[in-house]
Amino acid sequence: MVSLQLTPPKPFLPKTLNHSKHDNKPSTTVRSSLQWNRKPQLSGDTPRVVVITSGKGGVGKTTTTANVGLSLARLGFSVVAVDADVGLRNLDLLLGLENRVNYTAVEVLNGDCRLDQALVRDKRWPHLELLCISKPRSKLPLGFGAKALTWLVDALKSRSDGRPPPDFVIIDCPAGIDAGFVTAIAPANEAVLVTTPDITSLRDADRVTGLLECDGIRDIKMVVNRVRTDMIKGEDMMSVLDVQEMLGLALLGVIPEDAEVIRSTNRGYPLVLNKPPTLAGLAFEQAAWRLVENDSMKAVAVEEMEPKRWGWFSFFGG
Amino acid sequence: MTPIFCSSPSPHLPFINANLRTPLSPPVFHVLVRIVPLHPRRDHRRWRRGLSARAASSDSKGPDDHRLTEDRDLNEAESGEVAVSEESPLVLCVPHVGSFTVRRPKSATFSVGVVVAIVLLVGVLRRIIGGKSDNGRRGGSVADLVRRGHLKSDRRGISKPLSYEDPFNNPLVKVGKNSTVEMYGKVYRLAPVTLTEEQQTIHQKRRSRAYQWKRPTVFLKEGDPVPPDVDPDTVRWIPANHPFATTVSDIDENIAQNNVYQKHGVPFRIKAEHEALQKKLEALQKEEKLHGVTIDPNTIQEFERPFQSPPKPPGQAEQTQRTTSTSKSGGKSESSESNAASEEPHKS
Repeated sequence: MVSLQLTPPKPFLPKTLNHSKHDNKPSTTVRSSLQWNRKPQLSGDTPRVVVITSGKGGVGKTTTTANVGLSLARLGFSVVAVDADVGLRNLDLLLGLENRVNYTAVEVLNGDCRLDQALVRDKRWPHLELLCISKPRSKLPLGFGAKALTWLVDALKSRSDGRPPPDFVIIDCPAGIDAGFVTAIAPANEAVLVTTPDITSLRDADRVTGLLECDGIRDIKMVVNRVRTDMIKGEDMMSVLDVQEMLGLALLGVIPEDAEVIRSTNRGYPLVLNKPPTLAGLAFEQAAWRLVENDSMKAVAVEEMEPKRWGWFSFFGG
Repeated sequence: MTPIFCSSPSPHLPFINANLRTPLSPPVFHVLVRIVPLHPRRDHRRWRRGLSARAASSDSKGPDDHRLTEDRDLNEAESGEVAVSEESPLVLCVPHVGSFTVRRPKSATFSVGVVVAIVLLVGVLRRIIGGKSDNGRRGGSVADLVRRGHLKSDRRGISKPLSYEDPFNNPLVKVGKNSTVEMYGKVYRLAPVTLTEEQQTIHQKRRSRAYQWKRPTVFLKEGDPVPPDVDPDTVRWIPANHPFATTVSDIDENIAQNNVYQKHGVPFRIKAEHEALQKKLEALQKEEKLHGVTIDPNTIQEFERPFQSPPKPPGQAEQTQRTTSTSKSGGKSESSESNAASEEPHKS
């Protein structure tokens, strides 16, 4: 769940983002003791094109894309989230932008609109923009789907509306290794592999990792989703370290199972915007933090300790 | 005489019928105590009469079979103690759980009962109110689907969106000692990641042996011939009935690439409509020139507003007919242009 070095955390660096509203709080405010209470330092050349893939469906690719993308936007980086799931797009639903998608990449290719007109800006965090590849009933031509996505990402580097090129282009890959997968990975330089701790997902993840490496994408990190520490403790679920032993990939994040995921999907409001923040939202936030710094987890939370005992007056709030 | 002392029952438990079975080493006794539901203050006599103690051996047919039921008189009850029996010495073996003391309920018991009831009521109300406010605060229910238009229901509520503005401050997470971390009130044990770069390299080599793959660049329907200059490894065969295979591609690749990099100007579709209308107008004008007919500058107002034209002299009838046909085409072009303008994409 968290990436913590077992050594004492580093001293805090001064913040680089403007948070004057919070700086005015009294000094008695309890602040977090985690070392990522600062703006992360962006590593690598921009725009960093990251494809979020898994192979198996239903493991949380779109959820990861939405939450990591919005976390990056909140951390102050400009992000373009591309929903490359051609026939079954869902990223707009998770971001709550489904009513604002008028034009997609297919309209851009047809010449019906410009690329900047097809980008849907999130009003909550304007650093985040959404680009859908196609409307649900239309399909991208097979012949140059991969080329088209590469052109789109290349065109984002020199935008016509005067905005600087994005720091991150995050591509939500469809399930499977079919044409959609080939289209989605074409412009990517690095990949985030989302998996769950079960053998079906792990087999697909291993195969997809192999295909990505064959395609030249060597920078692959893994997000283990839907982890239940209580089942790990009872040895009913593989631990994160077991998953890592099987796949041999660096850990970007460990996301616990959380009922808030369904609620946030219903609301069209990603987990990381919840107040109070949820455990899964916090884990996504930390994964985004590591993605910026090209970091990986050094320690994982393997199991939950014994809970506190209930007192006699706990029923009354004591 | 060894009395069995019965504790005075709690004032908030006047409606309990309790059967206490106390297993004992042989002979086993069953002490049955029944507390009859009575109001302790209003009718304490009945309350005492309702108290009966029964002791019986487990074997009802044996010689030690005793059944004791005693209703003590008021004099004995006034002393605050009830002696159950002196007939049966076995009763003396009953442990303390079977002993009862009956005391006269004092006046304070009612007030104590009221206080306990209030405390319980406050606790329950607090839970209910807290639960309701918690649901309202979190949101994410089906009501949000209604708000977003995915479900239709007039009876569902609308929740407010929330915002968590400071990503750099989360006081709910604290690093503990002994490799633990506390998140949201739960303490998790931490374990270090043991994956080394050598192990990563070993996994990469394993995968490179297991998976030989080239990214397909050519997509062909099953049955189509492979073009001569195409590497067969890069061909992705799509079943003929697959939705991707049935996609009709009417987009030219070069035009599409230019469209992607288009930075200025109107969208292609609107531009194409404008050009088509211009060509149509030019064609009409050429056709009229061939017939030696030109637009009269005096009738330019009729050209612009055909429906408000004044009555014309009969000598210009033929000319008016021609201009009307021209104005119809002009009106069409106007409407098309406005339609196109209405389709001008909004800047997202």
